Amino acid sequence: MRTFKYGDEQIRTRDIMIAVPSMLIAIGIIIFPRELADKTIAADGWVSILFGGMIAILAVWLVTKLAASFPNQSFLSYASYLVTKPVAIVITFLFSVQGILLSAFEVRAISDISHQYLFDQTPIEVVALSFLLVVVYAVSGSRAGLFRLNSMFLPIIFLITTLLVFFSIVFINTDHLLPVFKTDAQGYVQGTIESTISFSGVGIGIFFFYISLVKKPEKAPAMAAFGMSWVVGLYIVVYLTCIAVFGENTTANIRFPLIELAKTIEIPGGFFERLDSVFFVIWIMAIFNTTALAFDVSVMALNSIFPKVDKLKIIFVLSPIVFFLAMIPNTYLEIGLFGRYVSYFGWGFVGVILIILWVMFKIKGAKQNEK
Amino acid sequence: MARSLFNRKKQNTQASQNKQQPQAAAGKNITKNLDSNLEEIKKLLGNPSDLVTRELMIGGLETRAAIIYINGLTDKDLINDNILKTIQLNMKQFESNVLEKIYQEVIAITDIKKSTTMDEVSSAILNGSTAFYLDEMDTVLLMGTSGGETRSIEEPSTESLIRGPKDGFVESIETNIALIRRDIRDPNLRFKQHEVGKRSKQKLVVSYVEGIVNQEIVDEIDRRLKTIDVDIVADSAYVEQWIEDSFLSIFPQIANTERPDRVSTALTQGKVAILVEGTPFVLLAPTALSETLQSMEDYNQRWVAATLQRTLRYFSAFIAVFLPGLYIALVSYHPGMIPSTLVFSIAASREGVPFPAAVEAVLMAATFEILHEAGIRLPKVIGQTVGIVGGLVIGEAAVSAGIVSPIMVIVTALTAIATFSVPSYSIAITFRILRFSLMIAAALLGLYGIIIVYIMVNIHLVNMKSIGVPYTAPFAPSFVSDWRDLIIRAPITKLIQRPIYLKPTDEQSKDTKPE
Repeated sequence: MRTFKYGDEQIRTRDIMIAVPSMLIAIGIIIFPRELADKTIAADGWVSILFGGMIAILAVWLVTKLAASFPNQSFLSYASYLVTKPVAIVITFLFSVQGILLSAFEVRAISDISHQYLFDQTPIEVVALSFLLVVVYAVSGSRAGLFRLNSMFLPIIFLITTLLVFFSIVFINTDHLLPVFKTDAQGYVQGTIESTISFSGVGIGIFFFYISLVKKPEKAPAMAAFGMSWVVGLYIVVYLTCIAVFGENTTANIRFPLIELAKTIEIPGGFFERLDSVFFVIWIMAIFNTTALAFDVSVMALNSIFPKVDKLKIIFVLSPIVFFLAMIPNTYLEIGLFGRYVSYFGWGFVGVILIILWVMFKIKGAKQNEK
Repeated sequence: MARSLFNRKKQNTQASQNKQQPQAAAGKNITKNLDSNLEEIKKLLGNPSDLVTRELMIGGLETRAAIIYINGLTDKDLINDNILKTIQLNMKQFESNVLEKIYQEVIAITDIKKSTTMDEVSSAILNGSTAFYLDEMDTVLLMGTSGGETRSIEEPSTESLIRGPKDGFVESIETNIALIRRDIRDPNLRFKQHEVGKRSKQKLVVSYVEGIVNQEIVDEIDRRLKTIDVDIVADSAYVEQWIEDSFLSIFPQIANTERPDRVSTALTQGKVAILVEGTPFVLLAPTALSETLQSMEDYNQRWVAATLQRTLRYFSAFIAVFLPGLYIALVSYHPGMIPSTLVFSIAASREGVPFPAAVEAVLMAATFEILHEAGIRLPKVIGQTVGIVGGLVIGEAAVSAGIVSPIMVIVTALTAIATFSVPSYSIAITFRILRFSLMIAAALLGLYGIIIVYIMVNIHLVNMKSIGVPYTAPFAPSFVSDWRDLIIRAPITKLIQRPIYLKPTDEQSKDTKPE
């Protein structure tokens, strides 16, 4: 009975606001306190996060603003208008590749962390495959359904983080936060680059595509930027808590500071000890959101290049690719490297595309909606 | 899959419309001969023993006539007093047009119509009408005399409340409609009649309040009802399963209730009720997942109490679904998460239990399900025995025999109680299915398996619709103003807006303009 379209499949601007944090909160936030603590002194990293966050907010705003200037047009159609069709096809294809790479990284990272925190005997392949299959199931459903999933999981993510920070208060050592502003300029710059990368530019690119589903996208840029500011706020709070609890040196040497934080805290009541597993398991929802959106964008991008191919066929072709890419790295160092390349590629690519498209947009101006 | 089902339905309805029903007297008209008419109708109905044929002479006229009705479907006093007596005692002289005069002047029944075809007459008789034949006339009077034994209005047995109206729906659709009408005296209240069941020819009434409901929902329900192609609708569940959006889902997509107050409230919120003749269960559509955890009681208690009750229900739904799975995951995969003192006592209690936690849990859960099933089917008297036997088996014998640990008994019992605190029986069944899948997932992949299944269930839910309305509304898509009546039940004075996820035509339920 799919003939009935009363419950419309349109995405509202509020869904975009929720999709931004859903997309950006994933593996990055688990790892980044380590990287940042390495570059800055004491709690100074928050300045870097703030700067990095501002860059990210600006990027998100630029992406959504550009996409919203062409309401209800697919990325391929307005990119073709701005930079000729062949170039647009190449860009779209690269976006698809980027989505695949990001999905593969998330799948691999999740199996790797599960291996460390949940079970050490189950083969990584089993964990990765089961996760990937769930992602495939989600992507095969309706696109509006994905956004609904975001708004169902995101409150849980924020709730668990808030609880984590709240229960950490007991363990906070304010000495760890001092001294303030002792980092030199180079440290700040490096930290800013570090946190900007952590706000995965990969994720920002998806909004080139999703804005076309929004019926009235005028407010989308503001909403997306607002959503991005939640992420920045969350990063700052998490970073400060990590530093305050562990101190700068320890944080710089823990592999997954955020999960270790969960290990440290104690929940009164005596029902649970070692919350790291619970925390990570709930965090899987956040990682799932990111992976599903990234995968969906790859599918969407390929679908716009090959409009006649069935969505399900694309999914079934892509999922083995994602799986094999995820299985390529051998050690956790290689996984880290993989993640790094994905992020560099993401930022470089999105940055370049953003600049090119905006320049062309300024030259040619917005075209009237064709539809 | 769903689409192919729909196509099948469509073809079926077309097929059934094309082929004529092979019946002896179908389409025949009434003749002018009384005897042959009576013969004909008896033949058509197979001359059943409960068919009463009374031939009589009209008083004051020397004309033969007959009345036919089915014993048991009709109100005998009505036939005797208002038809037979008035005709026999008639002293007026009619020169011409006798039937018309009798129709207008003699018979003292409001619901009366004329008919000339056998089909109409026979179906009217089967509906409890009385047919009046007059010699040398090819027209028959059909008088609405349906009556007979029905159950009186009682307190509903499935949804009992501490506080609230005590009446419940019955099997008679007229009574049920009247019960709703007594609650809503709005002239915009609509009852649209359909007929379902190829053989049973039952009445089905779609009810809604025009001006509140979204017309698209009504149209869609009408369209789906027209595809129904069954012999008999023994309960509204047939209709529910036929028109629901996804028959592969384990979640109930249409609510059912025995309570008129619940139906009336839902109608004024912009929902549609479907009443089926012969069952006290009325369907309510569209529905959302969150509504399965709500009870009418919530509105009859003050808001703080109601909010706490709802929170409690969400908590018990969580226990009902997750607890055995969590137990398996924690005990067999993540014992490190349990505080050391607790883990020692669990380990001590599991000492001597030969099975792994997963087998133990499945064993106990299955035992509970069997007990539950046995308790429902058995007569009440024997049901108590089952309770005692079950209590002994679960509580004592299994533990002392060393088959299961006492902790497992606590887990099973807690899960059982939590399942019973869920107000809707249909969602409780869903929870039981989910519980088993979570137990299997936990046995295979521990906490990771649980979250994977949880995500999968969520994916399924967000893609689901109830008559086109997202099933997870108002959580996602989020309608923040509807959250006032979700987990929190805001004070009644704040609930002035109708649920907007139903996209009602008229959103305000009260006049909020400042006076």
